[in-house]
Amino acid sequence: MSMRAGSATVALVVLALPFASFLLLALVRPLRRSAVAAATVSITAMVAAVVAAFWLSWRATPLALLQSPSRTWSWIPADGGPMATVGVMVDGKSMAMCMLVTFVSLMVQLYSWAYLHDEPRRSLGRYYAYHSLFAFSMLGLVLAPTFLQMFVFWELVGLCSYLLIGYWYDRPAAARAAVKAFWITKLGDLGFVAGIVMLWAAAGTFDFWELFRLAHTNALPVAGMPLIMFLIYLGAVGKSAQFPLHVWLPDAMEGPTPVSALIHAATMVTAGVFLVNRAFPLFLLVPDVLTLIAWVGAFTALLAATMACVENDIKRVLAYSTVSQLGYMMAAAGAQAPDAGFAHLLTHGVFKALLFLGAGIVIHVFHTNDVFRMGGLRGQPWLWVPFVLATLALAGVPPLPGFFTKEAILGGVFEAHLMIPFVMLAVTAFLTAFYMFRVVFLAFFARGLGDSHAHHHVPPLMSGVCWTLAALSVATGVNLARQMLAGGHHEGAPAWLPAFSLGLAGAGIVLAWAMYQRGAIDPARVAAVLAPLDWAARRRYGIDAVFAALYRGALLGFSRAVGWVDRYVVDGLLNVFSAWTLRAGDRLRRLQTGLPQDYLYGVALGALLLFVLAQWRMK
Amino acid sequence: MPLGAYLTLAALVFAIGLFGVLTRRNAVGILLGIELMLNAVNINLVAFARFSGDLGGILFTLFTIAITVAEVAVGLAIVIVIFRVRRTVEADHLDLLRG
Amino acid sequence: MTAEIVAFVGVAVVLLGSSLAVVLTPNLFHSILYLAVALVATGVVFLLLDAPFLFGVQLLLYAGGVVTIVVFAIMLTERLVGRTIRQASRHLINGALLSVAVFAGVAGFLVQAPLAGARPGISGDLTVAVGRALVGAFAVPLELLGVLLVIALLGALYFARSES
Repeated sequence: MSMRAGSATVALVVLALPFASFLLLALVRPLRRSAVAAATVSITAMVAAVVAAFWLSWRATPLALLQSPSRTWSWIPADGGPMATVGVMVDGKSMAMCMLVTFVSLMVQLYSWAYLHDEPRRSLGRYYAYHSLFAFSMLGLVLAPTFLQMFVFWELVGLCSYLLIGYWYDRPAAARAAVKAFWITKLGDLGFVAGIVMLWAAAGTFDFWELFRLAHTNALPVAGMPLIMFLIYLGAVGKSAQFPLHVWLPDAMEGPTPVSALIHAATMVTAGVFLVNRAFPLFLLVPDVLTLIAWVGAFTALLAATMACVENDIKRVLAYSTVSQLGYMMAAAGAQAPDAGFAHLLTHGVFKALLFLGAGIVIHVFHTNDVFRMGGLRGQPWLWVPFVLATLALAGVPPLPGFFTKEAILGGVFEAHLMIPFVMLAVTAFLTAFYMFRVVFLAFFARGLGDSHAHHHVPPLMSGVCWTLAALSVATGVNLARQMLAGGHHEGAPAWLPAFSLGLAGAGIVLAWAMYQRGAIDPARVAAVLAPLDWAARRRYGIDAVFAALYRGALLGFSRAVGWVDRYVVDGLLNVFSAWTLRAGDRLRRLQTGLPQDYLYGVALGALLLFVLAQWRMK
Repeated sequence: MPLGAYLTLAALVFAIGLFGVLTRRNAVGILLGIELMLNAVNINLVAFARFSGDLGGILFTLFTIAITVAEVAVGLAIVIVIFRVRRTVEADHLDLLRG
Repeated sequence: MTAEIVAFVGVAVVLLGSSLAVVLTPNLFHSILYLAVALVATGVVFLLLDAPFLFGVQLLLYAGGVVTIVVFAIMLTERLVGRTIRQASRHLINGALLSVAVFAGVAGFLVQAPLAGARPGISGDLTVAVGRALVGAFAVPLELLGVLLVIALLGALYFARSES
């Protein structure tokens, strides 16, 4: 995939457009206060960025063998060459990500205009400013040629996430969720920055191309590499919501649904996967870490899938689903099949965004997130067709893209002989189909709730965006199908794998149909059979509680202790000194009686003292 | 008489004058004590002048006497003004400089 | 026992006695009178030290002028109050202790210092030499003294003026 490189100038244009939009909206207050103007600026910039990103990819030229796809400028000077550089790295991966980010951002911004129509004008301007900033940050992240620049944009993306999750900042739940997201990802980022610095200390450079060259020629010191790469992986753990730092993603659903579609489905959370992919030549040096990544990824996928089965909130289900799919992508990278994971990232980005936006439609119609309060939309296919298509893609049904990419991941994991992760991923595939169709049946086709007679009005912009994304998904799927039929399987994957994954998906769909549409199997009885699992899953396996206890207990306790020290020891010391000074001053003041005779006493005593001193000296 | 005798005499008178300054309550009484102290100093000066053959001591004494007279005059004028304002010359009551 | 020693002892006794009386007498007017005696005794000491001119100056200025001024002051302040101010003293013990200590300090120096035993001889009257010095080497201090006296006069006048 990195055999083609794009023009650095066009890449800079892609970066500059959302940044210019953000600057304009941030600095020019009247522009921001008028929601129409803000949306226009932002969306126009985004459209131009989409065009530029596609141009970038279309006009990419093949790369000579040892030529770097980066173009950098010196940033932090040092003896013997700059210590850090800034620039752009325009290879296949970053071009693909550019297209994904700009396109999905544009779709989401268009959708938001209709979805958030009832927001106050000023808030909407703020919203679009944040969107522009996010687009810029994400593009900077994927175009970064060095670890340092990637880290800077990494943090910026985290900031945008915080700003957008907490968009409705007067809601306590939203504010808490934003802070939680920030804290948890920050935990991962600690490892990330430590890893980057240690890598720099070992290798002397931040630049990816340089590092890859060193790794390739075995010039990198392998001694501390496992630790370094593990620390760098920690950043991905936080950002891509791997176990145990996955707890922030479900809570992040407090933000507006379009934000969830953009950030917590397609782009920001995939930054971790992108990081592992980008630094893959370095990860290849430490196969143990890769195995760990695969195991954690598979485990995360399974864990999240089980929690999604018991959720009633449609957005939460989708959030867990995202965590689960991110686990898939990480497992692929861990199984040394990064291209499969990357492909899944791209396809998942589109249909997951579509799922969220489709969910936004039903939320808009029913004014609730609870799937058990929805239903009866069978008679309006233009509402449910995109969503169902996306669900089929997620479940892994051909000819939709999810089938191909998921099967590629399963194949990669199988080939790497990671059996238990393979089993976990297989079970997850079954569960994914199950819980997604559970949602479909409950939210769209459930009977008895204001049935098909009611005609619900949905803004055409919202459904239009959904149909566009659905069409894109289908087109991608068809393209992949054609490639597969033409070029055949990639070697090594077992022949029974496509049928196997299809079978898993089918089984899940059938089970969901039986339980929720037909009513043949009672969900309550199933829950009773799986009681302990059900109980644990409903309580999110207590991980949230652990973090909360750590935060409240350890962190706040520590803060309280420090506060006590500050108030009573540091301040106390100062207060004691000042009290003593005041008291001493008070006492000394009484020397000034105002009577000259008393002063004369002083003079005489002083003279006596001098006598004594002089006597001593004379001796 | 040796020089020491005169100096001791002067020291005694000085100490007595100091005692008077420290213990008198009346402002004029304090001034009297000061006079005694100045006298003792004069005795010292003249004794040193005599025993060392240096005329400077005597001249200094002259000046001291003249200055003392001026000081007494002004000091008593102040005492009288204080008396006019505060109706008392008791040193214990004149504590406006109190801190 | 030469005449000089007798004279010295006598004068010393008078001086010390009158000084003690000055500081210990409760009646302020009596204090003044005792001070006059002490001043005269000091003059006699000057005489014993071969400085007759100073004896004259002492009598004129101190025993005459200062005593007079102080008497006037007492009369002015006492009369307006209407009764003789009783001189109860304050912190007698402290004052006594301090005075004794100061005397002890000075005496300590005196004991250690190498002091001359006998007087050098004098040639003629010192007064002429004093006079010559006053208008010769010490002319400037003399003039300044005059200025000082004028200032003191003005000051006293200013203070003593009536409130109108």
